[in-house]
Amino acid sequence: MTTAVPVKPRKTWTPGQIVLTLLGTAVSVVLLAPLLWGLFTSLKSETEAVEVPPHWLPEDWTGQAWKALFETGNITSWFVNSLVVSVCVTFLVVLVSALAGYGFARTEFRGKGALMGLVMSGLMVSPAVLGVPLFTTVQQMGMVDTYWGMILPQCAPAAMVYILYKFFQGVPRELEEAAFIDGAGRWRVFLTIVVPLSRPSLSAVGIFTFIASWNNFLWPYMVTNNPDLMTMPNGIATVMNSYGIQWAQLMAGGLMAGLPLIVVFVFFQRQIVAGVAHTGLAGQ
Amino acid sequence: MGRPGLNRRQLLAGAGGLTVAGSLGFAALGTGADALASGARTRVRYWNLFSGGDGYNMIAMLDAFRRANLGIAVKDSTLQWGNPFYTKLAMAAAGNRAPDLGVMHIGRVAGFAPGRLLDAWDVGLLAEYGLRESDYNPKLWRRGIVDGRLYALPLDVHVQLCFYRKDVLRKAGLLGADDRMVPVTSVDDWFGVLEEARKATRKGLQTIGLWINDQNFQWWFFVAFYTQLGGTWFDDARTGVTFDTDKATQVLEFLRRHVTDGYANPAMGSVNAEQFINGAPFAWEGNWSVPVYSGAKLDYGAIPLPPVLGTRATHAESHAFVLPHRSDRGGATNEAAHRLAAYVVTHARQWAAGGHIPAHLPTLSTPAYRKLSPQNEYVSAMNHQANEPTVWFAGSTGILAQRVGPIVVSSTVGSAGPDAAARRMKSELATLLAMKNPMDGRTAAQGGTAA
Amino acid sequence: MTTADTVLAPARARTAATSATLRRKQGFQHGGWFVAPFLLLFTLFVIWPLLRGVYLSLTDANITGADAHFIGLDNYREALRDPLMWDALGHSAYFTLLVVPCITVLALLLAMLAHHIERGKWLWRLCFFAPFLLPSTVAGNLWQWLFNPGTGMINHVSGGDTPWLTDKSYAMLAVVVETLWWTVGFSFLLYLAALQSIPAHLYEAAKLDGANAWHRTVHITLPMLRNITGLVIALQILASLQVFDQAVVMMDFGPGPESSTRTFVQYTLEEGFTSYRVGYASAISIIFFVIIAAVALARMWLLRNRTEEATR
Repeated sequence: MTTAVPVKPRKTWTPGQIVLTLLGTAVSVVLLAPLLWGLFTSLKSETEAVEVPPHWLPEDWTGQAWKALFETGNITSWFVNSLVVSVCVTFLVVLVSALAGYGFARTEFRGKGALMGLVMSGLMVSPAVLGVPLFTTVQQMGMVDTYWGMILPQCAPAAMVYILYKFFQGVPRELEEAAFIDGAGRWRVFLTIVVPLSRPSLSAVGIFTFIASWNNFLWPYMVTNNPDLMTMPNGIATVMNSYGIQWAQLMAGGLMAGLPLIVVFVFFQRQIVAGVAHTGLAGQ
Repeated sequence: MGRPGLNRRQLLAGAGGLTVAGSLGFAALGTGADALASGARTRVRYWNLFSGGDGYNMIAMLDAFRRANLGIAVKDSTLQWGNPFYTKLAMAAAGNRAPDLGVMHIGRVAGFAPGRLLDAWDVGLLAEYGLRESDYNPKLWRRGIVDGRLYALPLDVHVQLCFYRKDVLRKAGLLGADDRMVPVTSVDDWFGVLEEARKATRKGLQTIGLWINDQNFQWWFFVAFYTQLGGTWFDDARTGVTFDTDKATQVLEFLRRHVTDGYANPAMGSVNAEQFINGAPFAWEGNWSVPVYSGAKLDYGAIPLPPVLGTRATHAESHAFVLPHRSDRGGATNEAAHRLAAYVVTHARQWAAGGHIPAHLPTLSTPAYRKLSPQNEYVSAMNHQANEPTVWFAGSTGILAQRVGPIVVSSTVGSAGPDAAARRMKSELATLLAMKNPMDGRTAAQGGTAA
Repeated sequence: MTTADTVLAPARARTAATSATLRRKQGFQHGGWFVAPFLLLFTLFVIWPLLRGVYLSLTDANITGADAHFIGLDNYREALRDPLMWDALGHSAYFTLLVVPCITVLALLLAMLAHHIERGKWLWRLCFFAPFLLPSTVAGNLWQWLFNPGTGMINHVSGGDTPWLTDKSYAMLAVVVETLWWTVGFSFLLYLAALQSIPAHLYEAAKLDGANAWHRTVHITLPMLRNITGLVIALQILASLQVFDQAVVMMDFGPGPESSTRTFVQYTLEEGFTSYRVGYASAISIIFFVIIAAVALARMWLLRNRTEEATR
């Protein structure tokens, strides 16, 4: 069906296409309705939000929830914290896993096979599985309630190393060998030849890591107690503002946490789709 | 690729590099944006669990304190009530990153390893700031003392209440000459009242909200009525369970009957307040709902849970200030924490607006407090407290409530028979009694920290 | 993983043979340094916690870290007799059982839909994928609000009176529905990528043979998606067993009505951070690790068998 595209450059509205498009629209409406419901709730007054029976559109459109959100102050520091943590995690993960992936793919050292096996076994360890011992470890290091306590444990992703390892294995050796013959060292070859070649893979890993880190809840939840240091998902879930559950505000806060990634997605969707698909598929 | 593309790429790379560098720098500083913004004054970090009307009052009191003490910056943080709060407080204390001042339920203090997760109060310092032992009910003051030192400084007593809508009850002929609800002293009385009230209730509303799915509320109600029957939990040596399954069955059957007789709607288990505001005649809630209902301008009253099974008793707990453990505790920050706690306790008139009964006796006897309504209708509850047993696993949302609360719920919603549930409660109590307090490796019988 | 090595190794060996000496010389010089930063972090935050977890599980350690005593296998003995642990494991398994098949089928259907609509591909991708971009807690709050009795939209739209979040027979279903909505986008993208990589000539040939759309789907598309389906199922099983975020958020950090949504992860954290029994929590974490590892190893084993079949 879609294979017809190159043959027929002009798309026509066949009955099949009309049915499919209508179906797609219906599914989209269902999937987006909860988000719209959240958005509309955030634009109601707190009393209108809890009216029985509920209604979709606000009768009185008001920005009070959004205004209150910024006035209470926490949300902006959570936003900054999320940004700091996600940027640091992404930077470190890309750096560390690119080096390690290349190391495993193209260099030789004693015990490489055993180490690779160890890294693979690390795929099964996550804060969800070993949260309590991980916490006591970080506690011993004195990093509870610090940025580094949030960041560093997210920076040992065996999965990313494995993905880049597989990618680097596919880079033609001849390119590197030519450079070696010209007298370049390992590091120069890595930086000037391998890294530029692997930009798509590195950005895929980076994008995926950023999304995962921005949305990460469990580990920041375990390791931060100080509301000043919380990230968006954690702060919204655990620290209520001092006036009780106010649904309009809660929805506004949620949208604040969720919208950046959705906006970024609209602009970079090709790269993000490639990133998610690439990192996901590499697990095969 | 053309030159403009290259330039844009360089620009993006530069911006990205700056962001990374900035983030790494920020992370290295490690204090958080808020701390950076605050100046060099003494800074007290204060964690509490007050949301809703309590949060509003606490903030008002803190603002008053800030105006009176310009040299002290108070950074207050509200965490979600319940497990997350205690978990985070314990973890922060264990990780030596605790706030300078915290709030706990006094029933939790015993299990919270006083001396390890909590630091003791400097009673002399408190007196300097105007707060003395003599300002307290001696029994309440003693609840804060462990091994001879004061670890918990009570702020209030808060109780479970029976809220009623005067407008609905008036229609049903259930208000006395004093415009208060007619007294109820037996189970039959009570269900008679509910039946009359139901007739006067709008369609689509339940007659009474009693949080039938909530393990905490159900547990608190159970404690109240079980105490009315004179039930006990453990022997004094904490070696045997004295829990009376017959009495417990009686309580569970009483709670269950609200559902089987159709007065409480299972689907509305989590929206008691909304139902009450919309016109449901009764709601059993903590006194912290007073500001919510007063704010909604309802015509309502509140009495302690009715003494239908025996003597008067309603579940009571206390909020108390604590000093979470910090290895560097002392100096100006510690003094500021003492000053803040003493200030809030002695200026608890504002706090009483939140429905709580102030622990500070001088406040309690002021005319301003006596004029508060419906507070004056239930202040007597302070003298008829039903408390959880004093053991390390008790206290608000503690292990006891976590393990036994769900059993009460299972009976009230009907998935377990009351007598079977009562037996399960007893065996759970035996299990808990044999359990070692993880903080000191001792069972309740071996003294624990609760003695 | 090791299968990849064995499959790829001969090809690599051929191309590399010519410069083996050079490679060896260069490689020995720096190989360790490339891997070192990762290994440092990996040791600190993966290996060490794992070993520490095993050690703690043999003690009665509490959260303050002081006064821990060695108590042998007592924690494990207690765990095997602990009904709450088995309940929690049951809840996580039940959740997995409901989520995995639903999400696999839904993701496949959505992917086929998006793949076959010719216009506005980016729009469908955005709409189907958007929920996945929300933080788990935000998605949880959103659905807690939707399921709210009285004020929520679900009961209003369906005209029902279902106590979604307060009745034990519905609570986990509510979490499942939320999870489907929130995470289907990820598997959807994997399927979409796989669909797009099916060679067009297969369809052309089938068309010439007179196969209709249904036959082409059953005989070409679905078989070509076998590998990706295996991956989607495996990833979903591993992720679903570790469910935590959405369940606790929707239940206000409680265990749900009559503890019906207390998941395994939640139980470990409760034992460790609410009851402060770090030793016991470590023991049940290790038990959980063994379960997860067993699932992951089972998948590797299946995959190896299949690859061997394919290469034969």
